[in-house]
Amino acid sequence: MLIRRHTFLAMGAATLAACGGGSTEKKGADSGASDAGGAEGAAPAVPKNADLVIWADEKKAAALQEPAKAWGESQGLTVAVQTVADELQSSFITANQAGNGPDLLLGAHDWIGNLVQNGAVSPVQLPAEAKKALAPVGLDAVTYDGQTYGMPYAVECIALFANKKLTDKPSPATIEELVEAGKAGGAETPLSLPVGEEGDPYAMHPLYTSAGGYLFGEKADGGLNPEDVGVGKDGSVSAGEKMQQLGKEGVLKTSITNDNAISLFTDGKAAYLISGPWALADIKKAKIDFELSPIPGFEGLEEARPFAGVNAFYVASKGKNAAFANQFVNAVAASPDLVEQMFAKNELPPVNLELQKKLADKHPEVVKFAQFAEKAEPMPSIPQMAAVWKPLGIAEANIIGGADPKSSMEGAGKAITDSIAG
Amino acid sequence: MTDTSAPAHRQRTTSTTALVVKILFLGSVAAAAVWLIPLLIGLKAWLWLTFTVLTVAAIFALYTTKRFIPGKYIFPGTFFLVVFLITPIILTVGYSFTNYGDGSRGTKQEAINSITGNSVQQVDGASRYTLTVGTKGAVEGPYTFFLVDQSTGEAFTGSAEQPLEPVEEDAVSISSGRVTEADGFTLLKPREVNDHFREISDVAVTVDDTTAVRILDAGTAFQGTKVLQYDEAKDQIVNTATGEVFTVGEVGGEQAFVDADGKRAFSQSWLQGVGFDNYSRLFTNGSVGAQFLKAFAWTLVFAAGSVITTFALGLALALALNDERIRGRRLYRSFLLLPYAVPAFIALLIWSNFYNQDYGLINQLTGLHINWLGDPTWAKVAILLTNLWMGFPYMFIVCTGALQSIPSDVKEAARIDGASSLQTTVKVITPLLLVSIAPLLVASFAFNFNNFNAIELLTGGGPFPDNEFTRGGTDILISMVYRIAFGGSGADFGFASAVSVVLFAITGLLAAFQFRFTKFLEDVN
Amino acid sequence: MSTSITTPTDDPAPRNRMSAGRWFREVGWRHLVGIAALVFAAIPILYVISASLNPLGTVSSTNLIPRAFSLDHFRELLSGSRGPFLRWYLNTAIVCGVVALTQVSLSVLASYAFSRLRFAGRRGGMLALLLIMMFPAILSMIAIYTMISDLGEAIPFLGLDSLPGYIVVLLGGSLGQVWLIKGFFDTIPRELDEAAIIDGATHWQTFTRILLPTLTPILATTFLLSLVGVMSDFLLGSIFLTSDENKTLAVGLYGMLAGDRSNNLGVFAAGAVLTMIPVIVLYQFLQKYIVGGSTSGAVKG
Repeated sequence: MLIRRHTFLAMGAATLAACGGGSTEKKGADSGASDAGGAEGAAPAVPKNADLVIWADEKKAAALQEPAKAWGESQGLTVAVQTVADELQSSFITANQAGNGPDLLLGAHDWIGNLVQNGAVSPVQLPAEAKKALAPVGLDAVTYDGQTYGMPYAVECIALFANKKLTDKPSPATIEELVEAGKAGGAETPLSLPVGEEGDPYAMHPLYTSAGGYLFGEKADGGLNPEDVGVGKDGSVSAGEKMQQLGKEGVLKTSITNDNAISLFTDGKAAYLISGPWALADIKKAKIDFELSPIPGFEGLEEARPFAGVNAFYVASKGKNAAFANQFVNAVAASPDLVEQMFAKNELPPVNLELQKKLADKHPEVVKFAQFAEKAEPMPSIPQMAAVWKPLGIAEANIIGGADPKSSMEGAGKAITDSIAG
Repeated sequence: MTDTSAPAHRQRTTSTTALVVKILFLGSVAAAAVWLIPLLIGLKAWLWLTFTVLTVAAIFALYTTKRFIPGKYIFPGTFFLVVFLITPIILTVGYSFTNYGDGSRGTKQEAINSITGNSVQQVDGASRYTLTVGTKGAVEGPYTFFLVDQSTGEAFTGSAEQPLEPVEEDAVSISSGRVTEADGFTLLKPREVNDHFREISDVAVTVDDTTAVRILDAGTAFQGTKVLQYDEAKDQIVNTATGEVFTVGEVGGEQAFVDADGKRAFSQSWLQGVGFDNYSRLFTNGSVGAQFLKAFAWTLVFAAGSVITTFALGLALALALNDERIRGRRLYRSFLLLPYAVPAFIALLIWSNFYNQDYGLINQLTGLHINWLGDPTWAKVAILLTNLWMGFPYMFIVCTGALQSIPSDVKEAARIDGASSLQTTVKVITPLLLVSIAPLLVASFAFNFNNFNAIELLTGGGPFPDNEFTRGGTDILISMVYRIAFGGSGADFGFASAVSVVLFAITGLLAAFQFRFTKFLEDVN
Repeated sequence: MSTSITTPTDDPAPRNRMSAGRWFREVGWRHLVGIAALVFAAIPILYVISASLNPLGTVSSTNLIPRAFSLDHFRELLSGSRGPFLRWYLNTAIVCGVVALTQVSLSVLASYAFSRLRFAGRRGGMLALLLIMMFPAILSMIAIYTMISDLGEAIPFLGLDSLPGYIVVLLGGSLGQVWLIKGFFDTIPRELDEAAIIDGATHWQTFTRILLPTLTPILATTFLLSLVGVMSDFLLGSIFLTSDENKTLAVGLYGMLAGDRSNNLGVFAAGAVLTMIPVIVLYQFLQKYIVGGSTSGAVKG
């Protein structure tokens, strides 16, 4: 399992952030083409001296292209939206440091810690009314060390998709119920949850939290404390035990990866799927009769909390057009119109409450995700999170494969602590 | 073509043409230098200036005289090699003695700017202003702000020196909530404001002891406080709200601002020399030390295995298909080239899907249930198999080409001596082939020794044994160590550079050793 | 170039004049080997082709033999909705052509010196070359980035996000083929050029008129190798080329896949197929030089 497909969110930080250094894959944040619509054959040449340059990954760049251009025209400015083919975050940091970066960056909120420690972004000052118009999780996510670093516009989290033909419990109340119903329905696989050979702490987080696991403790001011690592503590061990149980039952498998998880569901081979809004298009295309509900927790244990990943606009610290960049951010903050135009090309659950209401009729599932995200846990944005992904993932994958939960989790905890200490 | 004697008159004409070409070439080099050198001095691009001067000097030294014949041939390629390969390597060696990485990429001043700049908070409930920036002289400032309160419509003015005060009514004209003219001032256009945003950002129009009005964007200002201030004389950062003082101290081998307890206060640090710290970290890190030898062993097996298998298959196919009588020989050759025509990353990603235990193509086609990626041994096999698939066409092409250059009379002679076809192949053709190909095998070995992509894209170094997070079953040295360098709180280029240098030294020694072997072969020839 | 007689003693006898047994011993087994190798080489390729034709375009719905046939993915790519694909094609052709030609030319120049001329530091130079090529290049990219960024300030034409800038960086590998070409130089009898020198030819004339023609197979080979090598690069490319109209195929395709693999497999596979085709066509063209009988020239004298 190489490419993690919930790109935007997080996993990026997990792996090598080297400037191009090989990690090539993992983060998948981006991609090839940004030429907005299918209509134009060749890309319009990017003006060399655009008044505002924005970097984003493939899908977001494509969605932003037209709205940004229209906004630019209304202000008498030329706007260039560029797609960065690989490693958007580290490419941005490197380019910005060298003075060749864009003015604005569109990226996930969990990059903030790293962006800040590199002095790569400037804080944004959002008007008070704009803050009120946003879902709390969105603001929460872009707040780091008491400062607001980005203008959030979309939020994602994972949820439970049920194939109504393969189960009679489309929204199970507990994992146990889910497993039972999934098996009873006769599907090849009761649940499609990407684990992969190296584990996937992002997809496993609901299970991990339901059984009492946490990643970082909180400091007095509400920020995360990198010195209090939850992996290896009791909660994580009980989570490991639960995962092992599910592994034994054949519910969790390392052969289900981000490459095949969604298609197992769309091919009708899995009764349930745990995935995010990015799966909606495929599922609808496959004409699966599905129901969307929050991911249940284990019976008698805590609520399952998936990660929330927020997409936001950041102002580059060394952009050549900081004034226009701030002007753009304020335009996004002032009205949801621009985000709504982006939604037309890239359906991401919006954080703007007004927009949520507006879209609820036509796009009920997308808005549901936004609502689920309210109860989700914003992905940790402290840079130390980078040390967590790999060891925790490996421990989880090994536990599912039969390794001892206690020693595996404790080992992962130690590896994380050591790595944070440098 | 093979006429060995060049007629005298042709020689002369060539020389005349050559002379003209030479003069034109040297002339354009000189012209380029004249244009480029002042430019580079102006930009303070010393590295490129050095390159330019040395290159011009070298070109004139080499190509104006009749001496240095080898130099004339080697120089063009060497130029690119030195500039784009060797220089980056030297710079990388330089990085290995620094803390270059996430959190310490810039200068100390940049870190300070970032720390203090990030402490600007807008005052809750304070109004925003439309902003017009005026100047009395040049567009570079000093600047005066003309502000209109967006909620009340009152107009104010102020500058870095002059606190915020209401503006006299007849001194400015206001239209649609914005100052459009001001007596005695030139007003900046939005583009000019944008171009000078950095300088204008330094203007804080004092409102009271703690708050000031600052620029927000090309036409807006806000009221905010900058809690952290840098005191240059004392080299410390002061929190103006709490009075807390942060001084420069040493944390974890690098300098950073620390609080009174000596704990790191901000994540931003700056680029600085750390001596041999990165190297000592590599050799004292317990988990690295323990796994280094194991990873090294597999690296050797992987690199050698990849070379041997690809070469063996490539050679075998080249020999087998090197026969006039085979029908469709061209077709075979073209199809065998296919794997090579697929960009490597595509091939690797597709193969990684093939190995899925439950849903992969290989297990489905063969009916096996091998845990390819979950079992360390099978994962190693998987890697070698994929690398074989990707690499054999290369060896096949090279061997096919090399076979052509073996004079046919050699084979003929062997045959006349009564050697069988197999004997000819093994005893005569293969050794001859090795002469031209051996260096390539060494290079291929070296390439695979650091073939990060093959490992990373296929298995990510996994599978990882229980409770072992440093080295996975298929990790080669470079993939293992890169994970360590980039797996902590962000990328650590300094450490990664140190590791690269050490790996480079190891590969170099190995190659030098192998080189002796190729020397032996060359001497045989 | 006419085909050479590699095995002159053999009477290129038609098959029907041989007994079946002899035919198998001498020729038939070669077909078996060839077919086995073809299967090995072709299965993953078949999968790629099948994926490119599979209208669903997902990993789990793709089989070795396509069940459904559709050109949707090709149409999608060529329509430009996923980026200016044709432009990427052109860029790739430019970058590969320029870099491969330069690399082969400069390598062959240097190989001549290393093979034929004797000078201090010759062996040392060869060894150094090999060593430099071994540096784990992944890391030095940061340094290269900074260098090109500076260069772009002076000469924007060669800066970041420009094809010429990307090309000059790739030219850092200009001597990459020296070892291979030198190996072949060494197999050409020295008498050939010595005779020319005695006849009064300069070293340059000897090189261009006598030696170069005999090197055709290896020049064609290295050209192909170099070209494919350049074509596969996506790491450097994705750091350097950010504007859509400057991207190469590898960078564009990689980005597409990195965005979302399970969905994009079809389009990606279609892109891979379209990438392969020119290489195969080129090989068709070069094959006659690679396996053609040009060596006859070298040994004729």
